[in-house]
Amino acid sequence: MKKQKKYFKSPYIKGNEEYLHNEFSEKLPLDGLFEDDKQLSSTATSRRDFLKFLGFSTAAAVLSSCEAPVRKSIPYLNKPEEIIPGNPNFYASSCFEENVFSSLLVKTREGRPISIKSNDKYLFNQGGLNARTYASVLSLYDSSRLREPQDKEGVFLENVDKKVVDRLTKINNQGKQIVLITPTIISPTAKKVIALFSKKYKNVKVVYCDSISKSGILDSNKDCFGDRFIPTYEFQKSSVIVSFGADFISEWIDTGHAKQYGKTRTPGEEMSKHYQFESLLSLTGANSDKRIPVNPEEQLKCMLYLLEKIEELKGVKQSVNIQLDKHQKILDVIANELWANKGKSLVLCGSNNKDEQVITNYINNLLDNYGKTILTQVRSNLFSSNDNDLDIVIKDALDGKVGAIITNDYNLAYHYPKSKEILESNKIDFKASISQYLDETASMMDFVIPKSNYLESWGDFNPYTGVFTLQQPTISPIFETRQSEEILLNWSGDKTSYYNYLKKSFESEKKNWNDTLRDGVYIKQQSEKKYSFSVNITKHINNCLNMLEDKKEFICLYSKSSMGSGLQSNNPWLQELPDPISKTTWDNYLTISPAYAKKLNLKNWQVADGALNGDVVDLSFNEQVYRLPVYIQPGQAYGTFGLSFGYGRIKAGKVGNNIGVNAFELYDGNQLVQKDNFSIKKVDNMEHEFACTQISHTMMGRAIVKETSLSEYLKDPESGNEAMKFASYKGDVSPSELKLYEEHKPAMHFWNMSIDLNKCNGCGACIIACHAENNVPVVGKEEIRKNRDMHWLRLDRYYSSDMNKDLAAEQNTGAIQMYSEMEEASSAENLEVVFQPVMCQHCNNAPCENVCPVAATTHSNEGLNQMTYNRCIGTRYCLNNCPYKVRRFNWFNYKDNDNFDYNMNDDLGKMVLNPDVTVRARGVMEKCSMCIQNIQKAKLDAKKEGRKVRDGEIDCACETACDTGAIVFGDILDKSSRVVKEKKDPRSYVLLEELNTQPSVFYKTKVRNKKV
Amino acid sequence: MHYKSPVREPLILGNKDLHDITVDIARPIETKANRWWWALFAISFAAMLWLFGCIAYLIGTGVGVWGLNNSVGWAWDITNFVWWVGIGHAGTLISAVLLLFRQKWRLSINRSSEAMTIFAVVQAGLFPLIHMGRIWMAYWIFPLPNQFGSLWVNFNSPLLWDVFAISTYFSVSLVFWYMGLIPDFAMIRDRAINPIAKKIYTFLSFGWSGRAKHWQRHEVISLVLAGLATPLVLSVHSIVSMDFATSVVAGWHTTIFPPYFVAGAIFGGFAMCQTLLLIARKVLDLQDYITIKHMEYMNIIILVTGSIVGCAYLTELFIAWYSGVELEQYAFLDRATGSYWWAYAIMMTCNVISPQLMWFKKLRRNILFTFILALFVHIGMWFERFVIIITLHRGPLPSSWHDYSPTFVEIGTFVGTCGFFLVLFLLYSRTFPVIAQAELKTIVKSSSTKYNKNLHYLDAAELEKMNKINKKK
Amino acid sequence: MTSNKVIYGLYDDDDKIVNATKTLVGKGYSINEVYSPFPVHGLDTAMGLKYSRMAITSFFYGVLGAFLITLLMWYIMVDDWPMIIGGKPNFTYGQNLPAFIPVTFEATVFFAAHLMVITFLFRCGLYPGRGVFAGSNKYNPDPRTTDDKFLMEICEENPKKIQKIEALMRETGAIEIQIGEYKVKKRRKKITIKDYLKNNLNGFFRVFKRKKK
Repeated sequence: MKKQKKYFKSPYIKGNEEYLHNEFSEKLPLDGLFEDDKQLSSTATSRRDFLKFLGFSTAAAVLSSCEAPVRKSIPYLNKPEEIIPGNPNFYASSCFEENVFSSLLVKTREGRPISIKSNDKYLFNQGGLNARTYASVLSLYDSSRLREPQDKEGVFLENVDKKVVDRLTKINNQGKQIVLITPTIISPTAKKVIALFSKKYKNVKVVYCDSISKSGILDSNKDCFGDRFIPTYEFQKSSVIVSFGADFISEWIDTGHAKQYGKTRTPGEEMSKHYQFESLLSLTGANSDKRIPVNPEEQLKCMLYLLEKIEELKGVKQSVNIQLDKHQKILDVIANELWANKGKSLVLCGSNNKDEQVITNYINNLLDNYGKTILTQVRSNLFSSNDNDLDIVIKDALDGKVGAIITNDYNLAYHYPKSKEILESNKIDFKASISQYLDETASMMDFVIPKSNYLESWGDFNPYTGVFTLQQPTISPIFETRQSEEILLNWSGDKTSYYNYLKKSFESEKKNWNDTLRDGVYIKQQSEKKYSFSVNITKHINNCLNMLEDKKEFICLYSKSSMGSGLQSNNPWLQELPDPISKTTWDNYLTISPAYAKKLNLKNWQVADGALNGDVVDLSFNEQVYRLPVYIQPGQAYGTFGLSFGYGRIKAGKVGNNIGVNAFELYDGNQLVQKDNFSIKKVDNMEHEFACTQISHTMMGRAIVKETSLSEYLKDPESGNEAMKFASYKGDVSPSELKLYEEHKPAMHFWNMSIDLNKCNGCGACIIACHAENNVPVVGKEEIRKNRDMHWLRLDRYYSSDMNKDLAAEQNTGAIQMYSEMEEASSAENLEVVFQPVMCQHCNNAPCENVCPVAATTHSNEGLNQMTYNRCIGTRYCLNNCPYKVRRFNWFNYKDNDNFDYNMNDDLGKMVLNPDVTVRARGVMEKCSMCIQNIQKAKLDAKKEGRKVRDGEIDCACETACDTGAIVFGDILDKSSRVVKEKKDPRSYVLLEELNTQPSVFYKTKVRNKKV
Repeated sequence: MHYKSPVREPLILGNKDLHDITVDIARPIETKANRWWWALFAISFAAMLWLFGCIAYLIGTGVGVWGLNNSVGWAWDITNFVWWVGIGHAGTLISAVLLLFRQKWRLSINRSSEAMTIFAVVQAGLFPLIHMGRIWMAYWIFPLPNQFGSLWVNFNSPLLWDVFAISTYFSVSLVFWYMGLIPDFAMIRDRAINPIAKKIYTFLSFGWSGRAKHWQRHEVISLVLAGLATPLVLSVHSIVSMDFATSVVAGWHTTIFPPYFVAGAIFGGFAMCQTLLLIARKVLDLQDYITIKHMEYMNIIILVTGSIVGCAYLTELFIAWYSGVELEQYAFLDRATGSYWWAYAIMMTCNVISPQLMWFKKLRRNILFTFILALFVHIGMWFERFVIIITLHRGPLPSSWHDYSPTFVEIGTFVGTCGFFLVLFLLYSRTFPVIAQAELKTIVKSSSTKYNKNLHYLDAAELEKMNKINKKK
Repeated sequence: MTSNKVIYGLYDDDDKIVNATKTLVGKGYSINEVYSPFPVHGLDTAMGLKYSRMAITSFFYGVLGAFLITLLMWYIMVDDWPMIIGGKPNFTYGQNLPAFIPVTFEATVFFAAHLMVITFLFRCGLYPGRGVFAGSNKYNPDPRTTDDKFLMEICEENPKKIQKIEALMRETGAIEIQIGEYKVKKRRKKITIKDYLKNNLNGFFRVFKRKKK
């Protein structure tokens, strides 16, 4: 190196031809390097160079050690052409679980499904996803899924198919029954497979089970129309809706109803009027214009009285004559309104009792709603179970007629506890379960065959008459699993993969497979049978009258939007999703009305750290005793106890096990209401710890959710939203006019979000969508209890209060007493509920930004408040100074931490993480970013294509998730955008305007369809 | 030359001359510690260890080990911070403001109260550090460009103002204190027999020789430092109060905070002076220098500042009502009647009512009463800060209302700091000249009973009593 | 400075030494130094010391501090990396001035106090460890002067005058008079940086020299 350097010269320099022949004109100084070290030491440079290298490499080592830890990343051996690292792919697919059908788009990154949204190609108006469907993507990565076929002892089974087939044929030859228990199947091809299966083994009995049965409706229609089916309901066409305990917004027969219902809730002349008779405070009741709390028997009476009134109005002969002690006046009003809106109304009933459903049908028929708001020709195939089928199976089994029982993706032992008897007994010589989990049922079976998740499966669905969708896998099976169709197919002797089978059967459609697969949905004319209504009403009325035993206490079973029937109870997102009404997480409890609680001397109270505790009761039912905490629920009917399905799992997995009681054990005769042989006893000196995300009940008379009545609104669109004025030297001005300095000029975009409180029904799907998009951690019950939930987007629920300022002024009540009374929710009769989604308001005068000493949270010139995680030192000053309290602090390390053993603590669960969003470290503040990653993506796409960002192009998780379109996100500088229209609306207002934080999020007044 | 007021009580009892003072001040350093000292030291040392344990656990696990939540982001941590900073103020005030006002009685207490300041600020400084989610990034609060480019600090943030205020306050007080110490170290040095001690004190005394010119400069810088420290001490607690006053939280956003906090700080600080000196004068028997008269003077200041604080509370309430701002009104209603009403009650009793007893001369001059009352003031001032901060538990949106209660870690940390503080003070009391003897000697002529017989006749009876006490030992 | 005699007069009272100084200075003798345990008022004027300019320096240090911090804040908030924070006008220094006042004040005090003290130590030649190795007597002839005695130091060559001085000291109540035979510095009318280094810092350097060995 010390030697003088020679640079390579072009060989074409004249007179230097020897370059052409011999590249290195002089000898390379290699000799000596490899010869004796004497020469080596003589070269003065070597040691110094060595030191240089040494120094350099040390420095390099030091530098590299300062870097963030290096993680495994394995490059593609040969890259799949459709995958571009960093770009998401969307696949149209469908999901049918727990009788909820949804057509969806699956977002995948590098071959991993990471989130779900509804398929916009699916135009059939019953679209819409619920929270469980959004969360199902996490269930795909559930580490407690079955990984391989196994037997009772959990030992791996070699070529299980052969074994099964042998056993089945043996049983078949014995002439014994093979019972296949499966949930309702809406897939034509799957039906074919089952046909094939029952053809192979002659004596096969297929039992369709719906965990929460709708047999009542099916049977009632059989009586009225002579065919067992569920019609489709056209809420968007109905201007008067009367529901007797049907929670159609959250959990009735179709998730799409919420969307349709939302369409009728735009304030104006044609805004629908919604009456709700119910025992528990359901989401639907909370959204109704007038809610009448009644216990189940009163509810039935009211229905009969309504029938009487309608008949009277129609002038047909009175089939019933019933006396009501109360609610008579309101029912007269309702009857008249219904009659006035003949053919534009709906009467619904939530009961699973045939007779009640028949009455409902009858009323609807009197109102000529069939064919207009209730379509009998377009049927919904989502439910098909028949209540007494299982009882028969049990009987047969006990008689020894049943040789084999196979459950397909149905948790028999959990949903139908009676069945344990036969599953435990050795009366059946072959028991197999096709299941995703080693659940209560599978753990009792001889053969457990793992089933693929729906995101790993093929399929075709026919949810409604004429509507067909396709299901395609978005990831190759993670474990050694097959989808149940394929398993059955193989057992029936057909060795082809289900994919080919499906494709073959699709050929009959005469459609292009790829296009259909891309769209995920296709329409096909199906023969629409005409039905004529004819029923002997008196019989059913008499049955109903016999049901009126004048009972005082009732157990009312319901299902939460988060848990449903408990299929996904091992999903931490859902466990931590607060119940929309009670705001309680991770818990199953007995709800009871405040008045009745006082009677039974049951209490809820706050402990020192502000968390909620409650008394515990022993609920004895059919000689069984269940220990349950009591949650006091305003607005609930006197004398009713509410209990939710979906809990009390014992074999769900580390997250879902041993939470509360299995309500299916009280689901006697598939009736949601139980009045007989049960009793409640308070357990002394024992208390239960609840984990609520909201403790307080009311708005304390503050204008947080601004509300008005339709009549007022029609008079003055600004009613309830009167402009706030401050007295100033300029005269009375709005807070935003009082400025110390001028605002910053916005850049090309200025993002705003509008939230219509009239459309928001509080379902909470947006929360789960936000979790999936932004890697929001799960913190568990203890932390939630300490008010340390990490939800970037929370849904505030406020009850109305009987006390208000004007009243206090009249009665000249003192301030202290007034406020203490304001904290109480109103009495059940006149309780009203409002919901308000609150995320970071992205204030343009953000209090949080000013106070951060290290400028970790600053404002973008596009109107967004941005959090710089890796700059945050965690002083929590911003949190204190945030009037909306939307900032979330990482109190602990929530990832790779055994104290928080949820999806972020195992490698499989981590696969759901969105690679575009940082996983936040301990001690760092975080909050809603308006899905900045998607904003950037949209901007880049637009830039590449040399256009402006299109309105609605940006995928804000909560906006996309909102079926009713309550949330609208857009660019306020783009004059044509929807959000500009929303902002111009006289109903629009910003939260806590008096603080003049100038949020980029604004709300729209809630309008209730009532007179004042 | 020395102006002698006929109606002044002596500030130095027991017929002391210059040499006696030297001997008395040097005694604690040259003799062994007594049982009292060791007992106190053992207790506070244990508490200090507990503190470090709690901090280790906190940093190892996360801020979640405290009881804080999404609504209440600060509670005990910042309460303690403000409390300790407040305590710090009396020291600077005594040495600076009273120097400017030429109050001779400051001389026998200023050294210790300055020491108290330094040690209190050390405790205070702990909390802003350990309350951080990522303490290992704490250096980011200094104006350094960060490693990812020139991302600097945010000078809009009151928390950053705190950083400057507290560090300036600490360092300036330290320097002020040390400049005063140099001549006294020199005195110890010249008396020291043990060669190592001599070396150490020589080192500490910066080789002070007491030349006339040096004394002249020394007096000038003392005066200037006092002049600087006075606005500083006022500014520091004003800035601390701005952590709250500049926010939008109802109940925090209050323009009265700066003066109110300063008054409160002096109030609490003097109480702490009382507590420490009452112990010190007993343990180090300095009754001749820290006399009943000194106690009385301080009690009068406690009375005055206590009344100021009381006025501030009432003003707050009035303004809340008068403003007509609902959130503000509710915040104060909630303080008085909400889930933390007891804290409010304690605050009112200890800070507003109890100091009023100082109107009685008998109580003012009663040592035991003074001691107990000082403790009351500590409690009251702690709860004042707690009451203010806990306002967070009910913000503008009822949906996010949530109460708070501390965990053992928070309690341990607070008790621990008290221990740490005492450890420092006890060590100081055995190794430092606890009274500014050089300065004290300047007033011997005017205020010692020896030289100035005509000091006596004002309530001679008590004087007798005091002299008796002195004879006893 | 020539070889000469030094006369030490030890007094036990501050009033006495002030009077003594006055008389001696009145008689035209220049007093080299007075060592006292505490600042004796009127002594400096009696000795004819100049008024100290420490206060003035601190004023300028304060101005410097205010200037520097303003520069820093302007650079950070406005020039180098301006950000939108809470909608405040962070692109101009003036409009956002209120936010900068507290820090400016603190910095002013910080600079004024610390730099002044440093100057003080510098001018008096005080520094941690001074005299640790030389022995403190090098700087203070009589340790009792930190306790309760006051020492007057006069340099004189002329034996006659020495007599007179001694006599005067006795008159003014000196309790003890010594006549030294060794070199001492004359009290300088004016200290230049050069002889400052010569006289004071050498001790400082010695410390390090020792360390080296």
